[in-house]
Amino acid sequence: MKIIVAIKQVPERDAQVRINAAGKWIEEVDLQYALNESDAYALEEALQLKEKHGGEVTVVSAGPERVGQTIREALAKGADRAIYVASNDLGSRDALGVARLLAAAIQPENPDLILTGLQSEDLGLGQTGVILAEVLGLPHASLILHVEKTETGLTVKRELEEGWFQTIELPTPAVLTIQSGGNKLRYATLMGIKRAKIKEVRQVTASDLGVDVPPVVLMEGVTMPHKQKSTQMLGGSPKEAAAALVEKLKFEVRVL
Amino acid sequence: MIAILPTLAEPQSFSLSEKLLFAALAMASVYSFWNLFGRILNKILQSKKDSSFRLFPITKRIWDFFWEVLCQAKVVRERPLPGLAHAFVFWAFCAFALVTLNHCAVAFGIGFLNPAGEFARLYFYVAAAFAFACAAGILGLFVRRFLVRPKWLGEQLSYQSGVIALLIFVLMATYLAAFFVTDAGPDARILWWVHTLTLLTFLPLIPHTKHLHLVLSPATVFLSRGGFAQIPPLAGDEDFGLVAGADLTQLVSLQAYSCVECGRCTEHCPAANTGKLLNPKEIILGVRAYLNNLGPASDQPLLGKYNSQEAVFQCTTCGACEFQCPVGIEHVPILVGLRRGAVNTGAWEDEHGGKLFLALERGSNALGLSPAERDKFIEKQALPIFDGTQEYCLWLGCMGGYDPKGREIVTAFARVMKFLGTSYGVLRKEKCTGDPVRRLGNDLLFQQLAEANLETLAQNKVKKIVTICPHCVRTIQEDWKEYGAPPQVEHHSEFMARYVDKLPKQPSEEKVVFHDPCYLGRYRNVYDEPRKVAALAGDLVEAPRNKERSFCCGAGGGLAFLGEEDGERVSHKRAAELVATGAQTIAAACPFCNTMFRDALAATGESAPQLLDIAQLTARGLPE
Repeated sequence: MKIIVAIKQVPERDAQVRINAAGKWIEEVDLQYALNESDAYALEEALQLKEKHGGEVTVVSAGPERVGQTIREALAKGADRAIYVASNDLGSRDALGVARLLAAAIQPENPDLILTGLQSEDLGLGQTGVILAEVLGLPHASLILHVEKTETGLTVKRELEEGWFQTIELPTPAVLTIQSGGNKLRYATLMGIKRAKIKEVRQVTASDLGVDVPPVVLMEGVTMPHKQKSTQMLGGSPKEAAAALVEKLKFEVRVL
Repeated sequence: MIAILPTLAEPQSFSLSEKLLFAALAMASVYSFWNLFGRILNKILQSKKDSSFRLFPITKRIWDFFWEVLCQAKVVRERPLPGLAHAFVFWAFCAFALVTLNHCAVAFGIGFLNPAGEFARLYFYVAAAFAFACAAGILGLFVRRFLVRPKWLGEQLSYQSGVIALLIFVLMATYLAAFFVTDAGPDARILWWVHTLTLLTFLPLIPHTKHLHLVLSPATVFLSRGGFAQIPPLAGDEDFGLVAGADLTQLVSLQAYSCVECGRCTEHCPAANTGKLLNPKEIILGVRAYLNNLGPASDQPLLGKYNSQEAVFQCTTCGACEFQCPVGIEHVPILVGLRRGAVNTGAWEDEHGGKLFLALERGSNALGLSPAERDKFIEKQALPIFDGTQEYCLWLGCMGGYDPKGREIVTAFARVMKFLGTSYGVLRKEKCTGDPVRRLGNDLLFQQLAEANLETLAQNKVKKIVTICPHCVRTIQEDWKEYGAPPQVEHHSEFMARYVDKLPKQPSEEKVVFHDPCYLGRYRNVYDEPRKVAALAGDLVEAPRNKERSFCCGAGGGLAFLGEEDGERVSHKRAAELVATGAQTIAAACPFCNTMFRDALAATGESAPQLLDIAQLTARGLPE
């Protein structure tokens, strides 16, 4: 199976973010970066498919130079080669623009399967994989936990709400967006990193790919969430207080 | 009445046929010995070279050789009665060197120790005293092995050992008997031949049995790695640890062939003592079996037929095995080497291990928590930030920064330092020192953590570190050396011991038992300093297994981060021992020991002694 995994490098989870001077994005200077979590699960799913059915896994990632670190990590975990789309202005593109860029890089490869993460940890749009499928004219399914190859294509397990799942059959080539948690992730090994040194990383630019579409969605600004503290004391007997709490959690806070 | 004649009988005038017979037998014996020994020596020499081995400084090696081999110090100290018996056997062997040489020379009429002469007579008497002690010793050891049957010598009786014991006894008996016969008589000749045949039978048996240690162990002790539980650096791009036979180094092979199967390692192993698969003796013998059957160039995995991955990952790296070994086997680097081979190649699949590695790949600490938590702690306790002007950097570590009990220890120690007027600060950012991943064999992750931390320390111009965790101390001081030059680091017990005169002595009759942490005691040789500090708070009592023989709490080797253990819990076993001393307080000096015992004592219930770090004990006595 020829599999492509689109991966994104995002700020490390729990990073202390600050809004930048322009107010349109976060200050990147002191941040540590890591592989987007659901992309790690997409990569893991791809590697497991390769281990079972043979073939090749190629990772594609767009962004500035620092993305190289994440690409190497993916190669160390077992991807066979990589395509790096050099782009210093990824932030000024909208989801359509990014998807068009990735599609241009991926198309000549003619893969059997394209996997992306469900959504990114920074923007959280959840759109790139789906738009990618549309631009490439391929069938797609999202929120996928598990992929199985069949005679006719793929059978995939999709996550719904409240513990429900959906099984979908689709032909290949196809695009799937992968939800976190479907597999146990493998750790990066020394052997993996050493082998990664000799794996191919092909670099292309947006102009190479002939993609230069102005964004249709513009980011107006970014703000920190407004933190508010308000305390309500619930009185009465423990039974009464508990009942009152459940009421509030159900109908006011709406977490139950 | 049998008269003890003043001299040893030496048979006179051997016939030509006797001489030829002796020569032929001797040559056959030597040939047979060398045939097998030579092959073993080859296997050792054909193994990979140890790239980090340095012969110099040589003083310690010479001292260890003198003290441990010649004086048999460790042999006797750790198992006194059998150890003494063995020492006599060994010393008798040494004393008999000239006797044996002379014995052979006598056959050809060139005996150089004339029994009538002063020197020879004295020498033979001294040798006789040793022979007597040896015979008594070997008899005692025989009784121990075959009648008493201690568990640690193994389940199966070793008939091989019985045969060797018999041969040694006969050698001594024939020697002593020669004092009761005359030179000229036929008895002298018979004794001579019995002694000779016994000798010539013994020689080729040496490489066939664990008695190979006779030849190898003096070299093994002399050629130690040069530090306790010293993990060697990986050598080059293709080295991932001990994956297959071809990765075994000369030191590992030498050590594998030196094992005397005494079982002292297993006797003190926390895993072996709590029903787990791991048995340090079997690990070493497994490597030996691998070398015997597959050789030093094989590409078959070491964790396969002769050793199991499961056993190897039950090790807490407490070092009791390495510490006990009388022949110089260094178990910890071998165990970590086997783990490296599994982890660096991705062959180890463990749910908790994987989680630990992923937590440290992405984050800064082994507990998988947000670094903001550590920042909040520092802010809440108003700990000063290190800015290059203070004398000490207080390294919090993962437990000190994120664990509730670890934080209490830090807070207590901060109070002590404030009382003493110490100038210190904590770093804004710390990453885990990498201790658990280092001991689990993940060199990729360890390198990343070590290099990131070394850079942080250099940027902040840190010169001296003090920390509450012996694991941090060891990793910073020793393991980080592979990737840079770590600053000076000490444990808070060493720090507080220096100021013990300034710290208030608490009037209390409370009995306090101090538990020696593995990484402070055996790893760092620090036993007295924490006791000086604990003594400020009450009357010290000792656990039965204390100081170098301290029994592990079970957390080391990355095991605190892995899942449920098999068999009895190591922490519970040790906690029970500490509780049984009758102490009201258990004093700890390691946040991991503290965590393990807190859990174990919870199972003990209401009557459990209180558990406090030595910093907390000291802070208790400070004015509010």
